[in-house]
Amino acid sequence: MKRRDLLTGVAAGALALSLGIGGASAQDDEPIRIAALYNLTGGMSSIDAPALAAAELRVKQINEAGGLLGREVELISYDTRTDQGETATAAQEAVSEDVVAGIGYGDTTFVMAAAPTFQENGIPFVTSGATHPMLPTWVGDYMFMTAFGDDDQSYAIADYASEELDLDRVMVWTDESMDFTKALSKFFKERFKENGGEIAEEVSFMMGDTDFSSQISRMESLDPPVEGVFISAIPSEAGLTVRQIREAGIDIPIVSGDGFDTPLVAETPGPELANDVYFSSHTYRGDDRPEVEQFIADYEEEYDRPPENSFTPLGYDAIGLIANAIETAGSADPADIRDALEQTRDYKAVTGPISYTRENMVPPKPISIIEVQGGEFNVLEIWRPEEGLEGELQE
Amino acid sequence: MTGGTGMMDRLRHNPAALGIGLLLIGAALIAGAEAWLTPFERTVIGFAGINIILAVSLSFSNGLTGLFSLGHPAFMMLGGYTAAILTFPAMRKSTMLPGLPEFIATSELSLLPATLAGGVVAAVAALIAGFPVLRLRGHYLAVATLGLIVIVQVLINNMDSITRGAIGLAGLPRLSNLWWIYGWVAVTLFVTWQLKHASLGRALMSIRENELASASIGVRRARLKLFAFVLGAFFAGVAGALWAHLVTNLTPNSFGIVTAFMIVVMVVLGGSGSLIGAALAAIALSVISEAARPIERAIDAYGLVQIVTATLLIAVLLFRPQGLFGSGEPVTRRMTTPGKPPSKTSHEHRGGFPNETS
Amino acid sequence: MSAYVLQQLINGLVLGSMYALVAVGFSMIYSIVRLINFAHGDVAMIGAFSTFLVFAAAGLPLWVIVPATLAVGAAVAAIIEFLVFRPQRQAPQVNGFITSLGVSILIQNVGILLLSAQPRSVRLPGLLRTNHDFFGARVTTLDILIVAATLISLLVLTLFVKRTRLGIAMRATSENVSAAQLMGIPVNRVITAAFAVGGALAGLAGLMWGGRYGQIDPLMGFVPGLKAFVAAVIGGVGSLAGAALGGYLLGMAEIMIVGMLPSEYGSYRDAFVFGLLILVLLVMPNGLLGKPAEERA
Repeated sequence: MKRRDLLTGVAAGALALSLGIGGASAQDDEPIRIAALYNLTGGMSSIDAPALAAAELRVKQINEAGGLLGREVELISYDTRTDQGETATAAQEAVSEDVVAGIGYGDTTFVMAAAPTFQENGIPFVTSGATHPMLPTWVGDYMFMTAFGDDDQSYAIADYASEELDLDRVMVWTDESMDFTKALSKFFKERFKENGGEIAEEVSFMMGDTDFSSQISRMESLDPPVEGVFISAIPSEAGLTVRQIREAGIDIPIVSGDGFDTPLVAETPGPELANDVYFSSHTYRGDDRPEVEQFIADYEEEYDRPPENSFTPLGYDAIGLIANAIETAGSADPADIRDALEQTRDYKAVTGPISYTRENMVPPKPISIIEVQGGEFNVLEIWRPEEGLEGELQE
Repeated sequence: MTGGTGMMDRLRHNPAALGIGLLLIGAALIAGAEAWLTPFERTVIGFAGINIILAVSLSFSNGLTGLFSLGHPAFMMLGGYTAAILTFPAMRKSTMLPGLPEFIATSELSLLPATLAGGVVAAVAALIAGFPVLRLRGHYLAVATLGLIVIVQVLINNMDSITRGAIGLAGLPRLSNLWWIYGWVAVTLFVTWQLKHASLGRALMSIRENELASASIGVRRARLKLFAFVLGAFFAGVAGALWAHLVTNLTPNSFGIVTAFMIVVMVVLGGSGSLIGAALAAIALSVISEAARPIERAIDAYGLVQIVTATLLIAVLLFRPQGLFGSGEPVTRRMTTPGKPPSKTSHEHRGGFPNETS
Repeated sequence: MSAYVLQQLINGLVLGSMYALVAVGFSMIYSIVRLINFAHGDVAMIGAFSTFLVFAAAGLPLWVIVPATLAVGAAVAAIIEFLVFRPQRQAPQVNGFITSLGVSILIQNVGILLLSAQPRSVRLPGLLRTNHDFFGARVTTLDILIVAATLISLLVLTLFVKRTRLGIAMRATSENVSAAQLMGIPVNRVITAAFAVGGALAGLAGLMWGGRYGQIDPLMGFVPGLKAFVAAVIGGVGSLAGAALGGYLLGMAEIMIVGMLPSEYGSYRDAFVFGLLILVLLVMPNGLLGKPAEERA
């Protein structure tokens, strides 16, 4: 008998527990709740955790300045553990807790596991870092992006590589395990060839790789030699590739996208090797706009470290976008927030002005071309996409 | 003995009545859950159900035969992708998945046939892979099945025209509900339970206990092992299909080596070969993982849930090495149970690693 | 042989050396207690963090850092053995495997909690990055050191197991624990020693890993740990020479598949590696150098 009692006990306990996590109804004196879904543990945590830290900083600042519409803002964060099952569960939990909006993720595949649930429940979801230009089309009218699209950033760096760096023949390295990196390479190759350039050779690697010696040897063996290399990688691989290429004594320009926007690109190779790296990214690093300098100072004061990568200011801006929409709408109702978000024009985000003027709802943001020389980051130029341009994209 | 126990005894001798009773109770619980619980609570319970299917089916093939396969996620992927492609709206299929053959591209199935197809595809893959691979033992089999996960992952990642590669299949219809999931839980438990307690189960157990001796009394071990492996894969495929239509999104990274470890943990916690034990361990792990979330958030210490779970896991193994229920079933202890009572099994059942003597 | 092929062989040799070092420690532990220790890679991670965040940060010279890291690896492995594996020695083998998974998850998440998941840039003191010309191919001083250190460790380990009293006691224990006990061998001490040796090798691998690639994070142990498991199994679990051979084969296979195949197959690398591995096992079901499993009567 004893064991059967235990069995029923466990079942009853489980049920009681799950029943206990219910929601309360929103009232005007209650805080405005925003959900933040990020992978704080597991393989994606180095990308996602800094974004949440910055989002928390923004919420803290808003509350110190008196909140929104006289109400406090509460950020409810969920660690989805680099697991899509957890992501789907957390999205369901978030929408059942009376949140008015959600933010999250630096990777498209996780957004696609969470955002549809927000869409179904009529709650806006603002992804801080995901950059696939089809996201709003796939999810629906409650989906918003803080960052630019992969097509824009790839076009920017491809144009720079062709026109300013005078590269005609490059090699392309792609992290084949992620959609973000695959898309980035695809758009780069497309534009670089349109510009008259030649893709001499392609190699792949996988997320989590640390040894790139085989790819490097392959690059060295090309005849005629390539003039540059495009590396589509996430921040944890960015510094590793630069260091190993430079250690091998290869000094051709290395070009990439916002995955390279991390201090690791300079620190891992060290100042003597971190040279001739060019990447397109959000107008943030090396920028002297007051909102940028303020953000960096505030972040360093709060966490005793500089912002880790470009996903960091994007997390800050995702909250900023929502706060801006709530104030413009004068309401914290999810549908009103959505309408206000859609009307966002020239919102002064840390990562550049945000307007939703395009048909595909990808914000046409200016893009910085940044170079790394002697371990220092310098902004070389600002690339502007066509406003309202509808990219020729297919699903 | 109280009157209640007397009734239970009578029920034990009438398994059909017991089964129908359990089904009715289960149906009432699901009806209640679907009616009163929030979508979030139903999602948690849904994932718990999927974990039960995975743990029970792995416990069946690994625990009973002493196979040590880590390949469940590979079969989940095959089942999940098969089912997802079949239920995907035909309108979008032709543009998003141009590589599909005509008859699949134009059809749009409902969940049940898609799930069955997913299970069958997984089972066929297990049959093809199992035929050579099951000759391996112990750790060698573990590594080979680990390789199976990687190979399936890489293939799906590269077959963009059928699977959309790394971006995955998004926007699947949300078809999985508690009825489907727990219906399959019941089927999984029923089938594995019947097999375990039939003569086939005894033959399987004899392979685990002593492969040489079982061969000498005429147990055709290769065929039986393959059967257990294929059946386990079928249910893994079904679980993958249900998972895909609960999450509504499927990518090559949805299931991997970490998933394999989690399922093995459930099996070992429950007691290798104990079907009910595996089911309870699956529920316990799912509940702990969700229940500890608010604590983790309150003290801003993400990773705490994993730390607590890992510590609990180690503690259980230290104090109850045979798992919660050994290889017996908690409800049949006084019935004719194959094997020995759990209390005696600890040092004799080298669960999962047969004949490892080199 | 062209300089290109030679270069790729060298690349494979260096990567393989690091896999071999982790795999040999892994196999060492397996051969004594029949434990698949998944936390082995995490010991390497702890070794790397103590090297760079403690010893190198304190400005110690390399000749102090290396033995200190060896000691940390040995101590961590011995402590883990004492706390969680020793009480379970009589338990089914699969329990040890699951326990080690638990330990691995525990270490990784404590690491994330305390150190954050952010990769850190690190550097070994001294000028180890100089390139040398080797028949038209390129090697760095560190590459030479890595290969040499691995070979020396393997040699020392072989001599240790074959010649010293402790090593002979280890071999006796690995043959038959209870018989060894009856012969008066202090089995507990022998097992602790095996873990310590394995842990020291893992610590050294962590140091090399961090030194060569220049970046460390709390999850860095997972991939090498998995590779070590695979390498040890290809070589034949329990065989030290087999584990080293498996490590070299694995490193070589990964490099050569990317280096030699047409680039459109590069993204199939891991499928090729594991496909090859399954083939090897089907032909040689006990690994390359493993002893055949006896049928238990």
